[in-house]
Amino acid sequence: MKLDRNKTLWALTEGQRGRYAAAIAALGAGSLFLLAVPLVSKLTLDRIADEGTVSVRFLAAAAAALIALTAVAGAFQYLRGRWAAMASEAIVRRLRDRLFHHLERLPVAFHAKADTGDLVQRCTSDVETVRVFLAQQVVEIGRAALLLAAALPLLIALDARMALVCVALFPLIVVFAILFFRRIRNVFRAMDEAEGRMTAVLQENLTGIRVVRAFARQEHERAKFGAKNRGFRDGTQKLINLLSTYWALSDALCLGQLGLVLIVGARLAAADEISVGTLFACMLIESIVIWPLRHFGRVLADAGKATVALERLREILDEPEESAGGARPAERLSGEIVVENLSFAHAGETEDVLSDVSFRVRPGETLALLGPPGSGKSTLVQILLRLIDYERGSVRLDGHELKGLDRRFVRSQVAVVLQEPFLYSKSIGANVRVGGEAADDDAVIRSTAAASVHEAILDFEDGYDTLVGERGVTLSGGQRQRVALARALLKNAPILVLDDALSAVDTRTEASILEALRARSAGATQILIAHRLSSVAHADRILVLEGGRVVQSGTHRELVRAEGPYRRLWRIQGALEDELEEELASLQGATP
Amino acid sequence: MNSRDRRPREESYAAQLDLSLWRRLWGYTRPYRREVILLVFFAVLTALIDAALPLVTRRVVDDVAETRSTEPLARYAWIYAALAAAFCVCIVAFIRLAGKIRTHVAHDIRRDGFANLQDLSFSYFDHRPTGWLMARMTSDVERLSNILAWGVLDLVWGVTLMGSIAVAMLVMNAKLALIVLSVLPFLAWVSAVFKRRILASSRAVRKTNSRITAAYNEGIMAVRTSKVFAREDEDLEEFRGLTGKMYGASMQNSLQSALYLPVVLTLGSLSTGLALAWGGYDVTAGLISVGTLIAFLTWTGHLFDPVQEMAHWFAEMQMAQASAERILGLIAEEPRIRDAAITRYAVNANRKRPREGIAEDGFADELGTIEFRGVSFAYDGGEEVLQDFDLTVREGETVALVGPTGGGKSTIVSLLARFYEPTAGRILIDGVDYTRRGLHWLQSNLGIVLQTPHLFSGSVADNIRYGKLEASDEEVREAARLAGADDFIAELEDGYATEVGEGGNRLSTGQKQLVSFARAILARPRLLVMDEATASVDTETEQRIQRGLARVLANRTSFVIAHRLSTIRSAERILVIEGGRIAEAGSHGELMARRGRYFELVVQQKLRESSLRENAWSGGDRRGARNAVAPAG
Repeated sequence: MKLDRNKTLWALTEGQRGRYAAAIAALGAGSLFLLAVPLVSKLTLDRIADEGTVSVRFLAAAAAALIALTAVAGAFQYLRGRWAAMASEAIVRRLRDRLFHHLERLPVAFHAKADTGDLVQRCTSDVETVRVFLAQQVVEIGRAALLLAAALPLLIALDARMALVCVALFPLIVVFAILFFRRIRNVFRAMDEAEGRMTAVLQENLTGIRVVRAFARQEHERAKFGAKNRGFRDGTQKLINLLSTYWALSDALCLGQLGLVLIVGARLAAADEISVGTLFACMLIESIVIWPLRHFGRVLADAGKATVALERLREILDEPEESAGGARPAERLSGEIVVENLSFAHAGETEDVLSDVSFRVRPGETLALLGPPGSGKSTLVQILLRLIDYERGSVRLDGHELKGLDRRFVRSQVAVVLQEPFLYSKSIGANVRVGGEAADDDAVIRSTAAASVHEAILDFEDGYDTLVGERGVTLSGGQRQRVALARALLKNAPILVLDDALSAVDTRTEASILEALRARSAGATQILIAHRLSSVAHADRILVLEGGRVVQSGTHRELVRAEGPYRRLWRIQGALEDELEEELASLQGATP
Repeated sequence: MNSRDRRPREESYAAQLDLSLWRRLWGYTRPYRREVILLVFFAVLTALIDAALPLVTRRVVDDVAETRSTEPLARYAWIYAALAAAFCVCIVAFIRLAGKIRTHVAHDIRRDGFANLQDLSFSYFDHRPTGWLMARMTSDVERLSNILAWGVLDLVWGVTLMGSIAVAMLVMNAKLALIVLSVLPFLAWVSAVFKRRILASSRAVRKTNSRITAAYNEGIMAVRTSKVFAREDEDLEEFRGLTGKMYGASMQNSLQSALYLPVVLTLGSLSTGLALAWGGYDVTAGLISVGTLIAFLTWTGHLFDPVQEMAHWFAEMQMAQASAERILGLIAEEPRIRDAAITRYAVNANRKRPREGIAEDGFADELGTIEFRGVSFAYDGGEEVLQDFDLTVREGETVALVGPTGGGKSTIVSLLARFYEPTAGRILIDGVDYTRRGLHWLQSNLGIVLQTPHLFSGSVADNIRYGKLEASDEEVREAARLAGADDFIAELEDGYATEVGEGGNRLSTGQKQLVSFARAILARPRLLVMDEATASVDTETEQRIQRGLARVLANRTSFVIAHRLSTIRSAERILVIEGGRIAEAGSHGELMARRGRYFELVVQQKLRESSLRENAWSGGDRRGARNAVAPAG
């Protein structure tokens, strides 16, 4: 298990290991030069001690050597930093790109269940944790290994007993670090989650501020946030307290080790078993080796954090993407849709959202779907776009089974306006051009005009260059829907789906839009989901869905004649309209 | 001035430290004065031990080398052990203390910020995107609390360590000490310059990072759209542009950091070199002992750490000053709309001793006649969206607002809810100017159903209960039933206990709307506002809602904004709002008879319905056809 996780961190470094090796080599070279610096002082001191006097020239040369050695060591340190940064930044850049691409390729079912805030947090702060580890600690691991490898033979050559004393507590220091690193993982994760919970409450409060005020729930919100805020505080405090114990104990171990060398060495030196010079050397080497070794504990701790972070990223990356590939039978489909005995249930749920649905739409026809919320209309649209995959029954476009077609091909053939359309934080013009990057200005204006939004766009200060979203203007619900419609129209696909896409548009505008659609997209098959009967009545065929089943199907004319939900709806809307009409008639009758 | 100019300033570097600002921020450590004092104590102690440990080592070696006796070793061992133990205790203590100060100060700043955000007026939020506010409450707070805890720790430790070393050196040999220390100011200056550059480039990194965060956010929110337009490749291309930028910025930052330490070390070696050359000369001249020279050489190495740390915190303070300004500004920002002093006084008194029939603001607990008198309104210096608007609504009356988008309908209800206050004119509740009444009283008597429903994470029941926190399960069910929401709730996996997800996104828009209806019904408000609330539910559900509302909210004053004219037909009064004025007012019948704007709107809707019927009942007498069909079905 442990090996496996290390393997993933190790696997990340692929392609950059050469740079890491170069960085570690530079670090080694730098350390050697840095070690030479005290030697210069030692040489000078020895000479003074031996001869009682040294020339000014010698002193000047020694000082110059000392500074030059430091500078060279510095140059190697710089190279080490440079190469380590290049390696880690390149890895992280690749990781970020991969995450982004993967997220966009995950199926809609994944996104429906995932929290945006949590995903974003993983892609940012967890990636940052991994980055810090890659940038700072990978080289440190190399350094600790390098130093140990160089110091051990040296110590043994000096004195075998001293060498043993010098490494006596090393295993303890490392084992302690590893045990601690196991412990800290859960606490780190708990703190992370506490932070996530706190930010989530904050975000929801800020986006729902109108609701908070409308119900005068400020106190309730303060209490809710207060609890999460305290949770995060206490979680962080717990982590810091643990860290303080760790640092203190590992310092105690290191100081103990140094003290051991000092006392035992001094005893041996007093007994003339070793020279004072050897004691000096052992002390010096020990103090150089032990701090990176103690640091090794921190490296392991950071490796722990990075492993947790990487695990959280893995959870995303291991989610299977939408399957790719499939047939691309033609440049352009004619728009025929045949659905037979289609049933569908969401993964892990027993109840069917769609059951045994069959219908057929000929090229250029308009099919309307009507039904209460949750009756399966949007599911049907998602299946048609291959956003979700069906298993029972069949859906055929121009005779090709939908399952066998390439997803991107299917989506290029179906233009859709979703219930809650998303506009990118770009200019309005760029948002419309999402429907066709290469479209000329005329084509853009034709589609915005058909969506009755051209005039409204021109009313903005910057026209089509007006930015949408937090950095720009806030569009009303109706404007958003119309821009989304224009975008879909620009795509000029053989199948057009409007999924309750004009709910926020006022009735007058809706009428003119539907009019324009009828005139414009002659030839394109249309699927229309709406709640207003007036919007669906002109359709060539209307399907009434209830609980995932087709309960009625036919033209407006047929359905109004038949007993069933459609006529009930028609009466509800019609009764009021009829009364109005009667009034209108009586008024008109009275005036002339 | 357009809205973009009014947005808050971006993070900037402060050339001068604004001490009064930091003093105000420092005030947040006041509740933890005991911890701060202890922290200073332990930091000083740590620095002293830091300076003393090498002395012990030297004495041991000197003694053993000179006397060849093991006798004093035991004593030194004990001294060493004691110092080491004390050192470890200090570490535990100062990390815990700094940790406590850091986490508690961050908690307190966030608590105050959040508390004030609950009271700030909507105009404050109009110019501050959610993401901006989130950054203030999270990263800014973390940054500042870090400075207050770790910065102080390092400062005290650094000053003590440098001070004690400098004193020891000066005592040993003043001339040599001055020579060694002469490098320090130069080193400090170079450090400060470097640290500032590094922080500036890390600002660029953070800026790019926040754009990457935004891109992830958008990528996830837009995932359906990107899929249906098959834009995955284009999106990735754009994103790669950002990560490329990030790579460049991070490299610059890393290279500056990589250069900094070698430069400081080399400068430091200048000091060591001077000590070696000059001290070596003095030793040969017999002016100082070898031991003194060794001590000087050891100490020069100890001087640079504190200098670096202090340069770092100084630069960090300069960079974080903007953060401090923003978060303290957020906390100190006075809500534009708030209770007057006298009302606050009354509320305090009445909350302690509630009286029957008296609202907490001291007025009668009644919400009767509502009067707009000559009300004008403009959003923050923009054009007037409401002009000299007059309206009187009696208790229990239902007023419908119709008219084109942007005509001022939503502004009227925003003013009514006191989300904004009139720029001119007055709004009276039972003859009292509503700015004299309690804001909490007014808003807790209000129920609003918005066009885009907003739910909170939690269960369906939690969300409905938001309307009345102490409601029983039975009351919650009853409200859901009246809203016509119980059918779909019963079909959910866990019924009322089903989690709705972040912002309610596991429910459809229509379902969210039904839950938000139930929430408003449960609140049993005296004043109900429906802002185009039925736009995304189907006709049958809408009918159910209307029936439910008719029962629950009979005799409640209500304002209804609707696109579908059929839904507001029964309203006692219909107002056609255009260009910030009432273009027409009256009952449906009166307005129809007047043949004005309302009549036109109805005819517009009618025309579509009629043409529809022509299709449906082509030829023949329409009424006849209907009568003929009805019994047959």
